[in-house]
Amino acid sequence: MNPALYEASQNLSHGASMLISNYVFPNDLHVHWSMMIVLYPYITGLVDGAFIIAALYYLFDVKSLKPIARFSLLFAFAFLCCATLPLLLHLGRPERNFNMLLTPSPSSAMAGFGYIYAVSMGVLSFIVLFVYRPDLVERGKKAKGFMKLIYRALTFDSNDLSEKALALDGKIIRFLVGLGIPVAAVLHGYVGFIFGGVKANPTWSTPLMPVIFLFSACVSGISAIIIAYIIIRKMGGYSVDSDCIRTCIKTLTGFFILAFSFEMLEVFSHSYLKTGYHHMVEGLLNGPLASSFWLWQVKICSVVPLILLGCMAFITLKDSIYTFIAGIVSCILLLQVFIMRWNVVIGGQLMSKSARGYTVFHPEWFDKEGIVAVIIIMLIPFMILFVLGKIFPFWAEERKGGIQ
Amino acid sequence: MISKHSVRIILVVLSVVVMAGGGLLVKAQLIPKSFGLYGSYRADAIEEEAQKVVRHGTNKSCFECHPYEAKIHLQGDHKTISCEFCHSTYADHVSNGKRTAALPVKKGEEITTLCLRCHNTEIKARSTIVIKTVGMPDHLKQQNVKLTHTCNQCHHVHAPLKYINEAKKITGLMEEKP
Repeated sequence: MNPALYEASQNLSHGASMLISNYVFPNDLHVHWSMMIVLYPYITGLVDGAFIIAALYYLFDVKSLKPIARFSLLFAFAFLCCATLPLLLHLGRPERNFNMLLTPSPSSAMAGFGYIYAVSMGVLSFIVLFVYRPDLVERGKKAKGFMKLIYRALTFDSNDLSEKALALDGKIIRFLVGLGIPVAAVLHGYVGFIFGGVKANPTWSTPLMPVIFLFSACVSGISAIIIAYIIIRKMGGYSVDSDCIRTCIKTLTGFFILAFSFEMLEVFSHSYLKTGYHHMVEGLLNGPLASSFWLWQVKICSVVPLILLGCMAFITLKDSIYTFIAGIVSCILLLQVFIMRWNVVIGGQLMSKSARGYTVFHPEWFDKEGIVAVIIIMLIPFMILFVLGKIFPFWAEERKGGIQ
Repeated sequence: MISKHSVRIILVVLSVVVMAGGGLLVKAQLIPKSFGLYGSYRADAIEEEAQKVVRHGTNKSCFECHPYEAKIHLQGDHKTISCEFCHSTYADHVSNGKRTAALPVKKGEEITTLCLRCHNTEIKARSTIVIKTVGMPDHLKQQNVKLTHTCNQCHHVHAPLKYINEAKKITGLMEEKP
């Protein structure tokens, strides 16, 4: 008997119940799309969710969201500024991204993202400027020298605050926000599509991917806004508008139910269809991802918040307790979405194309795509937000400790 | 009468249109002339790439001057391996058919490092049916040799089992076939 065949038959009889021989192709050993590619959909997702909150107020007239509508826009803007940062850091040679914009290839999914990103950046910038025009005009009047010039530029050199002018602004804002919703949906749906379009990866290659990404984006964005609102308000000694928090949580509940259902539906589809690579996907979810998927993403970070959100919906709670639980739920859901991105991006790459083995991923601290780099990148939007706060006030003028 | 504010808004819209149009003009200027002639790439790139000096050779080019190594290499288990895998690039050694410089020779520990690039069990990336892999220093312990031994002290680098098989022939000790 051929020794090679003999060895193969020995291997097979050894682990007949286990299809996985841990035979990984050399080019599959290293996880190429690592933590920066986890951050990329995470950051764009935060933008999307924050924008949804603003859109609910400016377009759909959900009045209770007024206290955070402006802040959500700034939050979305600060994070949108950094949305491509992880990608550029991952690829290296960031100056080459201009080539992609100059000569976009119709068959390149990434080239399309450059244009969608540019459009959403333009739309969001104008929404912020129009929403803040009355404040900027007031501030411009008090400013001197160079700052006066900046305020003039930001207000389109128009200090007209008459009713007619503000009404026109209102119409423009509604139009831009109306335009912004499909743009934001396409922006993040496209991120999901970029993953879903990778035919070679059985966990990514599903038309459900843009939908899952979109709903989880809304979940992460709304959660982030709730936490940021509570923390910034409490730190500044201001009151928290409980009506606003309640509306946010209700919206969050809706989006989270959809997001979680679709995440589970995807697993169910894989499991029911039993496609060619199903044994690999099954082995992945029950093997290398057993802890990060089933325990963390599903049990701790999805089932627990679902129960908490259910309690918040059905039990009458005091405002202070409601706000406290809202903060906790939002933190867990922010983690849920991050773990979900991790499981999709990094988890999806742990399978070898041999369909007979898994690799491992070791995050490093001081790597170009290491944990320190992740922390720095996540801090940059907050720095931008801090600087923006100097020019664009987060909240409308009010007395400290007063009721809005 | 159009208010001052409306005029400003119209100016903003116009400037966005002008900027977008200007962007398209700049884009048109920056795109290389031969781009898109055959496909979504610069057609001149084909000619430029073709002009590049070929730096790699085939095993046949090496065997022309190294018949002794060729004979052993072609009979051994490494016969499908390219000479350049271990010996570095052809162009660093030969130019216009003439020897220009010596290629770096691996010695001592370097040889073990080189062998383990493919034969390390720890890599777990290759089927043992395709490539025999070993763990170090376990392999040395199992073979009852000093831990300072390098691979080439037992294995001929061109035909890894050459000495082993010869030794077995002499001693008459052949492993049991499964």
